Amino acid sequence: MACSCCSDDLRITRRHFFGLQSTGIGIAALASLLSREGISATTAGRVGGLAGFPNFAPRAKRIIYLFQSGGPSQFELFDYKPRLKDFQGTDLPDSIRGGQRLTGMSASQSSFPVVPSKFTFAQRGNSGAWVSELLPHTARIADELTFLKTVNTEEINHDPAVTMAQTGFRLGGRPSMGAWITYGLGCETQDLPAFVVMISSSGGGQPLYDRLWGTAFLPSRYQGVKFRSVGDRVLYLSDPKGFTPTDRRHFLDALNKLDTLESQEFGDPETEARIHQYEMAYRMQGSVPELTDISKEPQHTFDMYGPDVKKPGTFASNCLLARRLAERGVRFIQLYHRDWDHHAGLPEALPKRCQDVDQPSAALIEDLKQRGMLEDTLVIWGGEFGRTVYCQGRLTATDYGRDHHGRCFTVWMAGGGIKPGLTHGETDDYGYNIVKDGVHVHDLQATILNCLGIDHTRLTYQFQGRHFRLTDVGGNVVKPILA
Amino acid sequence: MLRPTVRLSALAQKWSVLVFAAMAGIIASLSATASTVEFNRDIRPIFSDRCFTCHGPDAATRKTKMRLDMESTAKIELRGGRRSIVPGDPAASEIYRRISSGDKAVRMPPAYLGRESLTPHEIALIRDWIAQGAKWEPFWSFIPPKRPPLPAVKNSAWVRNPIDAFILSRLEREGLHPSPEAGKRILIRRVTLDLTGIPPTPAEVDAFLADNSPSAYERVVDRLLASPRYAERMAFRWMEAARYGDTNGYQTDGPREMWRWRDWVLDAFNRNIPYDQFTVEQLAGDLLPNATLSQRIATGFNRNHRTNGEGGIIPEEYRVEYVADRTQTTATVWMGLTLGCARCHDHKYDPFLQKDFYRLFAYFNNIPNEKGFSYNYGNEEPYIKAPLPQQKKELALLDQRVKTAEAGYHAQSPRIQKEQSAWERHLAANHDWTVTDGLQFRSSPSLPVFDGKHSIDTPGDDKTAYFGYLDPFTLAVSMNATSENGGIVSRSDDYFEGTGHGLYLIDGKLRVHIIHRWTDLAIRLETKSPVKLNQWQSIVVIYDGKRKASGIHVYIDGVDQPTNILFDQLNEPFHVDPKIPIRIGAAGGKFFKGSLRDVRIYGRALQPEEAAALSVPETVGEIARREPSERTPEQSQKIALAFLAEGASPEIKDARNRMLKARADRNAFYDSIPTVMVMVESPTPRDTFVLQRGAYDKPGEKVTPGVPASLPQPPAETPANRLGLARWITDRTNPLTARVTVNRYWQSYFGVGIVKTVDDFGSQGEWPVHPELLDWLAIEFMDSGWNVKALQRIIVTSATYRQSSRTTPELLEKDPDNRLLARGPRVRLGPEVIRDSALAASGLLVEQLGGPSVKPYQPPGLWQELAGGDGYVQDKGDALYRRSLYTYWKRTVTPPFMANFDSPNREVCTVYESRTNTPLQALDLMNDVTFLEAARKLGERMMQEGGASPESRINYGFELLLARPPKDPERQILIDTLGTFEAKYRSDPKAAEEYLAYGESRRSSNADIAELAAYTAVASLMVNLDETVTKE
Repeated sequence: MACSCCSDDLRITRRHFFGLQSTGIGIAALASLLSREGISATTAGRVGGLAGFPNFAPRAKRIIYLFQSGGPSQFELFDYKPRLKDFQGTDLPDSIRGGQRLTGMSASQSSFPVVPSKFTFAQRGNSGAWVSELLPHTARIADELTFLKTVNTEEINHDPAVTMAQTGFRLGGRPSMGAWITYGLGCETQDLPAFVVMISSSGGGQPLYDRLWGTAFLPSRYQGVKFRSVGDRVLYLSDPKGFTPTDRRHFLDALNKLDTLESQEFGDPETEARIHQYEMAYRMQGSVPELTDISKEPQHTFDMYGPDVKKPGTFASNCLLARRLAERGVRFIQLYHRDWDHHAGLPEALPKRCQDVDQPSAALIEDLKQRGMLEDTLVIWGGEFGRTVYCQGRLTATDYGRDHHGRCFTVWMAGGGIKPGLTHGETDDYGYNIVKDGVHVHDLQATILNCLGIDHTRLTYQFQGRHFRLTDVGGNVVKPILA
Repeated sequence: MLRPTVRLSALAQKWSVLVFAAMAGIIASLSATASTVEFNRDIRPIFSDRCFTCHGPDAATRKTKMRLDMESTAKIELRGGRRSIVPGDPAASEIYRRISSGDKAVRMPPAYLGRESLTPHEIALIRDWIAQGAKWEPFWSFIPPKRPPLPAVKNSAWVRNPIDAFILSRLEREGLHPSPEAGKRILIRRVTLDLTGIPPTPAEVDAFLADNSPSAYERVVDRLLASPRYAERMAFRWMEAARYGDTNGYQTDGPREMWRWRDWVLDAFNRNIPYDQFTVEQLAGDLLPNATLSQRIATGFNRNHRTNGEGGIIPEEYRVEYVADRTQTTATVWMGLTLGCARCHDHKYDPFLQKDFYRLFAYFNNIPNEKGFSYNYGNEEPYIKAPLPQQKKELALLDQRVKTAEAGYHAQSPRIQKEQSAWERHLAANHDWTVTDGLQFRSSPSLPVFDGKHSIDTPGDDKTAYFGYLDPFTLAVSMNATSENGGIVSRSDDYFEGTGHGLYLIDGKLRVHIIHRWTDLAIRLETKSPVKLNQWQSIVVIYDGKRKASGIHVYIDGVDQPTNILFDQLNEPFHVDPKIPIRIGAAGGKFFKGSLRDVRIYGRALQPEEAAALSVPETVGEIARREPSERTPEQSQKIALAFLAEGASPEIKDARNRMLKARADRNAFYDSIPTVMVMVESPTPRDTFVLQRGAYDKPGEKVTPGVPASLPQPPAETPANRLGLARWITDRTNPLTARVTVNRYWQSYFGVGIVKTVDDFGSQGEWPVHPELLDWLAIEFMDSGWNVKALQRIIVTSATYRQSSRTTPELLEKDPDNRLLARGPRVRLGPEVIRDSALAASGLLVEQLGGPSVKPYQPPGLWQELAGGDGYVQDKGDALYRRSLYTYWKRTVTPPFMANFDSPNREVCTVYESRTNTPLQALDLMNDVTFLEAARKLGERMMQEGGASPESRINYGFELLLARPPKDPERQILIDTLGTFEAKYRSDPKAAEEYLAYGESRRSSNADIAELAAYTAVASLMVNLDETVTKE
């Protein structure tokens, strides 16, 4: 067992003073404070981050994680299982189930009838990856993607499984992936947060929780900043009505003068840091509206992302914003799309979700590629677990549902650091067990960090005596998929 | 074997010698040049952090017999005759050879495991330590503290109390000098913020300035400690430690009701109950002899953990999680130990076996029938009614009213008898009566014989018999069944495991289903005895709407039937599809054979006598024809009810209505009394096992309750329950409790603890920067009778605390974190203090001690975008301006202002204080309606109360927030700003109107709009000052 307890010591004091830039801050104070914090000074356009990170040459500079919350069914989308037609309606054999614990929702079912996908599959592109008819756009770009068929988790319920996928641990109390990464690598913009979260406003399905982009014991500066589709894009971003940007400038000039007097009197570097944070807030007030104003995007871009792209809060709109954030140096961009939890009525509900995300997801990949950004942007698409091969609830000629299944599900990755056009891992004829090359959630996380040039055992933080890390006590980099 | 306790006590004798010899420079940056290497300070942390994983307490990962956590196993002979550590001779010591080797195959920590080598500084320390004799020291925090002698100091005039002697002695050794006392204005602001969480008023400042007596400051301190605001200030941090929340914390994160526990905490701080009592009542108040309501409420501490109501979870997995949370929280809060690290394996750094964790776990594992799959829309059992004193009185009054009304009605008995028999005499034989109150559905008078294939369906809507899980109802039917299987009446899906309400015959027994999801969200029960086939029987099913199977009663011919509960977990709201019909003769796809008549559905739970009346086929007229002595009890009840409905005189009806109303009032009031989840001890303790790898379903060795073996053990007669544990925690010989507690308080004043790792007093924790001071405070705290206020008092009246917080580049260089305290604390305020200060200075603050949590301003949509539903419903009026500790805390959506300013999210126990400085904080203070409104009201106050001139008004605003007038250059900047904004708003009154529209409080009507807008802008500027959000 790998152990997180003995990784490289990066003891960080809990007191983080700085907005992590050198401008406007006393050089002597900066030097002494930054070195104590183990935080490197700005290097090559980078703001913040830990000295020594990345640990080796990164393949990706940034992450866009298209999280599909609720557990999309691999059976209807990616994991083609032709033999299920032969097994249709028969009980899942105990030999296949292998003692797997089931959720309280189906554990006491009297039978576990196997149900094949209602939807058809074809092999796509040169790589021959199987993608179903529900995802025609994804199918079109299949050669850009690598499909991990054997991602797995021990968790069988949403809250712990999503928390596991996003924080590396099943219970709240650990920092999120984006927090870890921005803590380690800082950011490449001074005008936007390093870690941005966008949630499709269509909602539905399972709830989300602040902890998924929270920092737990890491300093709260690393928390994901929600870009919202209603009200202020960033909470409290807008000045009040009757108060113009010019007014704000006057206000800040006066505030800076007063705080400078304060700084001179008390000599606390914290005061200078605060002046600096107000200036950054002011810049954000300009940069966020500029970012979210997509009116200058060309029509062919809108066409690429599809008809929803101009509606704020749609997945399509968020995908386009993700590309714009990536262009501006944001390190970690996290999207959530919900309502994939198809316990019942799957044949009717699943196509709708696919329609929400298929075209924008593919457009994002193509868009990044056209701009030469796909090579250093890692895009990940997937949920917290997959779904069972057997039907949950009532099985009829036209209708079925599937319960949660953590033993294997499909996630795709594309871009920086990943070999395109691969299918990694294999599941059995029932799509229930892994036959070859399992990828635990911690392995996926280790691989993501690896693409960023981070050894996942070295990105640690000491809290209550222990050196915690994103991958807890696990994680093996999936080397065969690395470019 | 771990260090035996006996040996610990023996070693304790040497404690002062061993430890106080080690009081040289503590901080790494300061001690780099220190010549004497100290084991506890310098060496143990290296061993712990870099070596213990393979050479430490965890047997499972120990690689060799050499382990570096105990002297006896650290200094041993190795293979080949070499010794691991040869005191005085680094070159002969194997560990030095290995750590300093340039050969990767030889070097420790091993390169093949990916471990980095020790730093040159660490290698040098170990070399010097061996060279100086490799002196071992027992682990400091496991040895009970003793009162150390006060150190001698040169500048004894500076010393106000013993704290200062310890601080000064260290400063003098370091060649540093304390700072002068802070000015009186800064001092009163600092101590008022620290003790009450809001700034002093100008009048309080003036009084302090005018008081030239030597004890002026102490008088202020005593005034503050006596204020209820002190309790509010103290309670907030305790709520964080206790992971207090107003919601359950997982998935849909529904509401719970724990504020009565929070109010207990307020009361405890207010009354200054001793910390040992504070501890015992929260850990084991229920086990105290003749436990009071207050003591039982206190145990809510260990029910504040999150609870999971996500459908489909495996209940035991989460039940174990709750118990583990109690265990870890107790260990963190009272012991400063990271015992959670021993949940899956032996501790990697500290001498705790996995078994130690589960022995502590066993204390908290005995809640009877504890549910892992918890109710998500209110409190989960066990909980108690926790009336406020006023409510207790009110309830007693209402109980009395019920008694009086009942007596009044009973007094009517002779009259009832007389009137009823008179009334009975005039009834026709076919005269009948039945219960119609609440009747929503009644079948047509003629129903066909049911053949097991057909049913009579009435189209459904969302009004008739459309019941949710909290809606009481009654179902009545007369039945003559010819088959022992079939559906009788239902409103449910047409398959057996579907959603909805149904009454069945299954193998001859009556079966009641209320099903949301068959597998895990349902109530199912059956009668113990079968019904009689081929004869008419009256069936009445009553559900009280309290979501428990125990609230369902099945009557056959008026007799309440014993039932078997088959499933009892109706945890979530649900409704059937309104289109689903009311089916007679079918349920869940099963059909009835036989005859049915008079199917009724009531939208309320009928009283037992009403159920009895429904079972009587005879008409009221027929009953009247029998002698009262010949009537069955059911017949008597029916005719009595009929009389009361139809024949009674107004006097009787009034008396009865009074009784019914008194009962209804009492019950409604009773239902409104808050509840609180509490600890309850099962008389038969649940078996506890070591859980292999921490997994709920992998029990290993069975264990009994007990405290960690490496700590001093309680006396033999101590009961092995929570009370015994609480007594042990608060025993004077416990080496940790007092130290951990005083350290946490120290952190709240100085920003950092004496032991910086307030949550880790183990070997990975930081060595105390002032070990003797820590022990002195711990002993003083215990000697004072665990007097919490006295502890605060001694800290804030020390010269150390009273220093100016001005710093210099030299001091920043030498002691950047201010651990040595050559200056006073300068620390950014917590979010609750920042908000409360703005409310107080603006005059908006509404002070009211305790009560249910409130929902102040929050940007709309935050709850919905994560969880849908109705979202956050903001309060109105006073509730917007209560102190921040009363703000409703939803754990999965932390109040955004709190999150921006570093509040822990209350998912788990948090005791360390974290502070960052971010642009989101700037945006929040500039644009959050809370602060815009506070600025507006502060602007108004400046204009109304601050005199006539801009100067005096600005002075006043500054004083309200900062307890001082501005200095000249500051005032000039503020006046210029005022002028700029006044000019702007004069020329643009519409903008002024808009700018002044924030917040729900009314605007002072007579103020000049442009002027008020300008003062508001200046007030907003003041709210945003670094000084405003800082204690200095």
